[in-house]
Amino acid sequence: MRKFFHALVLFTLAALLAACSGNGTGNEEAIEENEGTEEETEGTESTWAPERPLEIVATAGPGSGWDTTARMAAKVLEEEDLIDVGIGVVNKPGGGGAVGWAYVYGKNDPHTIFVTSPPMLLVPLNGQSEYNYEDFTPIANLIADYGAIVVRADAPWDDLNDLFEDMKADPTSITVIGASAPGSMDHIQFVRVAKEAGVDIKQIKYVSDQEGGALTQLLNGNVEVYSTGVAETIEQVRAGNIKVLAVTAEERLKGEVLEEFPTVKEQGIDATFINWRGFFGPPNLDFAALSYYEEMFRRLSESEGWAEVRAQFGWDELFIGSEEYVEFLKQENEAMKTILDELGLGNE
Amino acid sequence: MFEGIFTGFQVAFSLEGLVFVFIGALTGTLIGMIPGLGPITAIAVMIPITYGMDPAFAMLLMAGVYYGAAYGGAASSILLNAPGESMSVPTTFDGYPMAKQGKAGKALAIAAIASFVGGTISVVLLTLFAPFLARLALSFGPAEYFALMLMGLMMISSFSEGSTVKALISATLGFMIATIGIDLQTGTRRFTFGNANLLEGIDFLVIALGLFAMAEVSSLIFERRQSGNYTSKLGSLRLNGEEVKEMTGPTLRQSLVGFVIGVLPGAGGTIASFLSYITEKRISKRPHEFGKGSIAGLAAPEAANNGASTGSFVPLLSLGIPGSGTTAVMLGALIVLGVQPGPLLMNEHPEIFWGVIASMYIGNVILLILNLPLIPYLSRILKIPRPMLISLIIVFCVIGVYGIGFNTFDLYLLVFFGIIGYFMAYFRFPAAPMLLAFILGDLMEQSLRQALTISNGSLWIFVEKPIAFSLLLISFLTFIVPLIRNWRRKQLTKKLERNG
Repeated sequence: MRKFFHALVLFTLAALLAACSGNGTGNEEAIEENEGTEEETEGTESTWAPERPLEIVATAGPGSGWDTTARMAAKVLEEEDLIDVGIGVVNKPGGGGAVGWAYVYGKNDPHTIFVTSPPMLLVPLNGQSEYNYEDFTPIANLIADYGAIVVRADAPWDDLNDLFEDMKADPTSITVIGASAPGSMDHIQFVRVAKEAGVDIKQIKYVSDQEGGALTQLLNGNVEVYSTGVAETIEQVRAGNIKVLAVTAEERLKGEVLEEFPTVKEQGIDATFINWRGFFGPPNLDFAALSYYEEMFRRLSESEGWAEVRAQFGWDELFIGSEEYVEFLKQENEAMKTILDELGLGNE
Repeated sequence: MFEGIFTGFQVAFSLEGLVFVFIGALTGTLIGMIPGLGPITAIAVMIPITYGMDPAFAMLLMAGVYYGAAYGGAASSILLNAPGESMSVPTTFDGYPMAKQGKAGKALAIAAIASFVGGTISVVLLTLFAPFLARLALSFGPAEYFALMLMGLMMISSFSEGSTVKALISATLGFMIATIGIDLQTGTRRFTFGNANLLEGIDFLVIALGLFAMAEVSSLIFERRQSGNYTSKLGSLRLNGEEVKEMTGPTLRQSLVGFVIGVLPGAGGTIASFLSYITEKRISKRPHEFGKGSIAGLAAPEAANNGASTGSFVPLLSLGIPGSGTTAVMLGALIVLGVQPGPLLMNEHPEIFWGVIASMYIGNVILLILNLPLIPYLSRILKIPRPMLISLIIVFCVIGVYGIGFNTFDLYLLVFFGIIGYFMAYFRFPAAPMLLAFILGDLMEQSLRQALTISNGSLWIFVEKPIAFSLLLISFLTFIVPLIRNWRRKQLTKKLERNG
């Protein structure tokens, strides 16, 4: 029994080591060189490099979107030798992210960064987190994902306008489902589009089903509309079970099935919803550390390994550097706040 | 289809296939045996290992871990009263009393055999009907789920040990705890007292380990002087003819029940094992033995939770819909490996679809062979001096609870529920109704409100859906029949009194 366990531990360690050892070495020099130049140009600013292994916090459980992004980023950063220290991904689930954010805030260590996305704005706006995006240092955005508005394959609506016509005529006849509570991403992305189309957003019937049941409820006809992420729809579209009425991207997406999905915009409704995903650092991260991380993520975003990861998960490239990121977040936050206040879900 | 099955067996019987199934089953069993650690943890541990592996073998490995953990979970429930995850809670009801009576070996053997039968029957059903069963998985909407939960709830009184009122009070507490956290249908915070740690509600494991393991440990400490009710004897492993006969019926019936409930997304193993326990108690000729070391009461939930584990692969493999938290993690792992699980998996990746199914036959046999010889070693846990054993249980509970969210707040909750559990046991309040109400309460509330939102507030939705209506009718009957029976008995005694 004990021997078994030892063998198991050994096996696990061996596998982990195998997974962690990178294969490229060429980039190391490049980084050092770069650091050198930075020192020269910045002059008064001292450079910063991590002295201990990095901790990337995923503020949700294993297998979640945040977790996958964090683990994939860690993997590529190590494989492509974009970092000299090790990286550990730590899961801090709870409170829709709030528990993890409180953890990062409390730790306030330049070696602890975290991955985040629109809930970073929505959860605090709903009054469910003590800390909001302004309490942290946005480092860089890496990728974007988009929402999809989905109906059953045999549904009577062929485009968004058909659907919204019926919703305007009789809001009680259509139920929208999503995986998360009202005021969160699935709900807000639909509301944002519907609002632009002139639907009375207070009348929208929205139910949430967290246990993976949302798609089931669409397929068995209990609800009419499913608001979700684009990636979740592809296999069901290919099987002919559902149709995607619209995606919330600016332009049509690229990819085999993806390119067939019309955007909200091309149907005459001027709305988009970006499920951006990027990395934030602790509160008031000092400039040298911020520059180090921003550069690291820029290189990651440009790397081949990351391009493969993006293709694998169907993520769009959307690199935004720190300064611009703060602006972008400010705008998004305003837009979300307006909608939540109108729905009566806002904190104030 | 036969070609597919053939491909599947080719994958499962290849050298790598066999090795990975074995490693998976072994790892799963070992992790499952540790109190507080269940399949989700076990699979999460495996994800980094599967990076870069062939997706088919990665799935065999993870599936092995999954049902291996379901097997292993029985050990800590039986020996220590410390369930590793929610679906092995009912195993403690009769398994732990058996161990206390010095029949630990027998209890472990029954659990292993019932698990094997449950796993095997459902994998046969999975092989034959997987594509058709997908339709069953889709037949349940909010109205149907609500009716199913109500049916389970009607049976709460089965857990009363004498006082129905105490059982109901316990259940009410369970419902109250279930309301803590963000309300999913409105986004409102309920009873969180501004604490971010309570936003997602309280995890089942915290309550289960608190009410069962921690409370039991406290009683062991307080009652150490009167040690008459505890024995460290292992007892014989061998089951006699009568015992085999007693476990056959429940095992066969509940394997089926477990499988069917496992197929329904969202219902899962926990409800399967609770329901199976309750129904067996209802139909048993000796219901008074339940909770005191009944063989039927141990075999039923073990058969059901293994049946359900296998059943939950139906929506995952044939629809791409995860039916439980654990299969959701597996779905995530598949995407990482570059396979999009969905309705086309069977056609486009028959080696994964059928490979996983075929490997379950081997996995179940491996687990039985692995588990039976381990029993004598496992049972030695009971020979550990009591003070050490108590400390060990506490350590494992703490590890298990901390592992849920790496959050120290959960540890305070664990202690809190341990204290509640101790006093409940002291004042003879049954803990099971509280736990059952907690599980059912959450799902029941969500499905009731979903159903009513969809129907614009009309209750007609529960009548016009045939499945929902039949389930509600059954709940009504289980409630009304005992009342009528009581009433007639009273009438009869009155008549006798009058005549006498």
